[in-house]
Amino acid sequence: MWPTWVNMLAWWQWAVLLAVPPAIISLYFLKLRRRPVEVPSTYLWSRTVEDLHVNSIWQRLRRNLLLLLQLLLVLLLILALLRPAWRGHKLIGHRFVFLIDNSASMKATDVEPSRLDDAKHRASALVDNMASGDVAMIVSFADTARVEQMLTGNRAALRRAIQGIQPTDRPTSLVEALKVAAAQARPGETSGASVDEKETDARPADTPPATAYILSDGKFASVGESSLGNLKPVFLPVGGESPANVAIVAFQTRRQEKQENRLAAFAQIKNFGDKKVHVEVTLRLDGELNNADRASIGPGETQNLAFDVGEVDSGVLELIVRHRDCLAADDRAWVAVNAPRPAEILLVTPGNQPLELALGTRSVDKLAHVSVKPPLFLKTRDYGAAALDGFYDLVIYDRCRPDAMPQANTFFIGNVPLGDRWTLGPRTDAPQIIDVDAAHPIMQWLALDDVLIWEGRSIGAPPGASTLIDGDSGPLLAIAPREAFQDAALGFLLVDLEGGEPVSRTNWPIRASFPMFVFNTVSYLGGAAADVGNQSVRPGQPVVLDVEGPRESVTVTGPDGQATRPSPVRPGQYQFSATDRLGTYTVRSGKTLVSRFAVNLFDRNESDLAPRKTFDAGGEKIAGESGWEAARREIWRPLLLLGLVVLIVEWLLYTRRVST
Amino acid sequence: MSTTSTLLSPELLARLEKMELLSRKIFRGRMKGERRSRRKGQSVEFADFRNYVPGDDLRFIDWNTYARLERLFLKLFLEEEDLHFYALIDASASMGFGDPTKLRYAQQLAAALGFVGLIRGDRVKIESLGQRPTAPSPVFRGRRSMWRMFDHVESIVPGEQVSLASGIKNFCLRNSGKGIVVLLTDLMDKAGYEPALRYLLAQRMDVYIVQILSAEELDPELNGDLRLVDCEDGDETEVTVTAPLLKRYRKTLNAFVESAREFCTRRGMVYLLANNTVPLDDMITDYLARRGLVR
Repeated sequence: MWPTWVNMLAWWQWAVLLAVPPAIISLYFLKLRRRPVEVPSTYLWSRTVEDLHVNSIWQRLRRNLLLLLQLLLVLLLILALLRPAWRGHKLIGHRFVFLIDNSASMKATDVEPSRLDDAKHRASALVDNMASGDVAMIVSFADTARVEQMLTGNRAALRRAIQGIQPTDRPTSLVEALKVAAAQARPGETSGASVDEKETDARPADTPPATAYILSDGKFASVGESSLGNLKPVFLPVGGESPANVAIVAFQTRRQEKQENRLAAFAQIKNFGDKKVHVEVTLRLDGELNNADRASIGPGETQNLAFDVGEVDSGVLELIVRHRDCLAADDRAWVAVNAPRPAEILLVTPGNQPLELALGTRSVDKLAHVSVKPPLFLKTRDYGAAALDGFYDLVIYDRCRPDAMPQANTFFIGNVPLGDRWTLGPRTDAPQIIDVDAAHPIMQWLALDDVLIWEGRSIGAPPGASTLIDGDSGPLLAIAPREAFQDAALGFLLVDLEGGEPVSRTNWPIRASFPMFVFNTVSYLGGAAADVGNQSVRPGQPVVLDVEGPRESVTVTGPDGQATRPSPVRPGQYQFSATDRLGTYTVRSGKTLVSRFAVNLFDRNESDLAPRKTFDAGGEKIAGESGWEAARREIWRPLLLLGLVVLIVEWLLYTRRVST
Repeated sequence: MSTTSTLLSPELLARLEKMELLSRKIFRGRMKGERRSRRKGQSVEFADFRNYVPGDDLRFIDWNTYARLERLFLKLFLEEEDLHFYALIDASASMGFGDPTKLRYAQQLAAALGFVGLIRGDRVKIESLGQRPTAPSPVFRGRRSMWRMFDHVESIVPGEQVSLASGIKNFCLRNSGKGIVVLLTDLMDKAGYEPALRYLLAQRMDVYIVQILSAEELDPELNGDLRLVDCEDGDETEVTVTAPLLKRYRKTLNAFVESAREFCTRRGMVYLLANNTVPLDDMITDYLARRGLVR
């Protein structure tokens, strides 16, 4: 097999280098400046030299041995500079896609320095092996794929792109990467001026499939044939055999049932290695040691740990597993404990004692702050500003309608929300409840068998709405989404005014299901249950943040201390998606701390470092080419050593010739 | 005897006084000399016996006496004729090298041998190769000619532009007589020494060839890339002196010396390689005595 070469020098450097041998030769051919010495007679000397001329070819060689050695030395240096190497592997085809996995598990250090670096190194070696005219593209992928370099024949750009790939903490999905690669690797996607125009034009109509080299530890699901497209996959597994890893797979906090101000933390630690390990677990609250424990975990086993954290209103809990293993990302986990934020609820009513009572229970009081206003309040400027700013989480309109829909969830009693898609049917006497959607969070645990309704109207809900209470003449309670909000409408009144006196229109308020319904409505539409802080966010997963205040002042500070502005979804609600790093993120409005949330790996698939050797692609088993050697076998080192030997020989020869 | 000669030290002169020149050949002298001759015929006269000492020629042992007495005695004969002693000095430029110069060494050697001859009443003639035929060199005889001879020897200076062959040829033309001739030269002649020595052979003389080489010729201390310039004809040879080359030079030198030695021995000439660093004293009393030139 012929060696391949890598050009290390610019043309002018080559010119200088190639000028060296002729220079050496010309120096040798120059008349040597000999020192004249007078001798009694040259008789014997000329006879001696004459003798030498007899076998002149060998003598000439001998005389020029130093020259030959010097030329050999320069030749070896030039060869070494050309970086010759024996090609370790012949690449298949002429169009390549290098898919490099940069998911969390690729951070494992079971191969030095890390799996990702190993993959990058091997990808670089593959690029080195590319023949001239070959084109390739670089795609890095975790749960999303990113094209690092479009199809090009420029190896320097390819190598740069490979070196630029950074590790992430995300899970792995090959399908995404293959989709991107298949789409980008279609003919005509060659980028850059590095590839000859002619070459691109002269492309045959029937392009052979591109070869997709997948450099991954295989922490992805099998892929279907459709996602492969025009790609021919070659799987190059990365990673050592049975690497040791101990990971935190779950970490949560909960208020203790009896003492609500005390916090309990629960953790699950799994040993993915094949040896029993003894780990030390420490729990830190806002950076200070709070609790510690020891655990012995057998191979493949999971250990549950519980900690009594104590009285905590808000703060950051960090769990650290001290154990020497291959993946550090899953040895730490965080939970952000946020002070609960009550929902803001506005009840607009001319007077509704049962509802006000139901909203005044202790359970509702914990979830929400309820303000009651008369219908006239709808006309005030205060309402207009608050409703449009999204100050309220839920507005309940009892027997009244606003002029415009507020930026909040709504609940209409005896009426329907604005818009032509909502309709109100004719008044019917004593409508019967036929069906209740018990699966919906609002209707959970409600028994409406004993509810009687005196008078009501059916509700015509827009498409996409769900009917929560169905009556004999039509839906009596329906809920439908409106942009980011939900609107609910109840077709019958709870109380009515008749001659200034309140009159019941149903017996529901005196049934046990009514306060339950109100609580459900408040917790579902009020959004109080959504406490983002106690949930763990997976890396890369977007987070919806509820923050009041001016849009410009809201910032999210990541674990690396970098502050970013989340993008607003609607007033008071923001979406934040830069959750790539593990750790806690702090949400601030201006200078005040609003909330915190934690991003944790918690991925058993990524933490299980045992590398996969095969995967299914379109029903076909693709085996990892484990014994495959991609690296160029560079021989410039032996060449330089040889040069050194030549130099030493030359020196010895010179000294031997000179010394008598 | 007091002397201020720089050529020979008084100590050496004192030792030389006890010596004599020997000839392996029998010459008819022109005049009576102090020399004993082994010449056969009427002129041979037995003189005396003396005890044998190691180094004496075995042929002169009286075997009859040995048979009778079981002791070795040497028969001494009376010599009636004198001996012609010629010293021929090569005074070419190449002889000017070395410390002392080869020429100086040759002069000292010639003077010492000439002195021995003078002491014994021999005819001594010392010439350089470049001696013009029209101006023959003087002949010295008797102890009182010593200073004249020394002056004459001292007057020889290096730089004579004459080849070995033509110098010897001229010498042979001028000196047709028989006797002992000592040629003091380095034999470094590009035309070769063989034709030159053949002239001497034709003279049927008792020929001694003393090849004088300097230390830098025998063991050159040269180094690096050199342009060697011949001091006589300005001929240049470019050499890169390396250890192998020096080895090869020594080989060539040895071959040269050996060929000269063989050339001489084959033709009845006595060859002697002299190194200018060997003291003159040792040279005469040891080397030349061993070759049978002096006793």
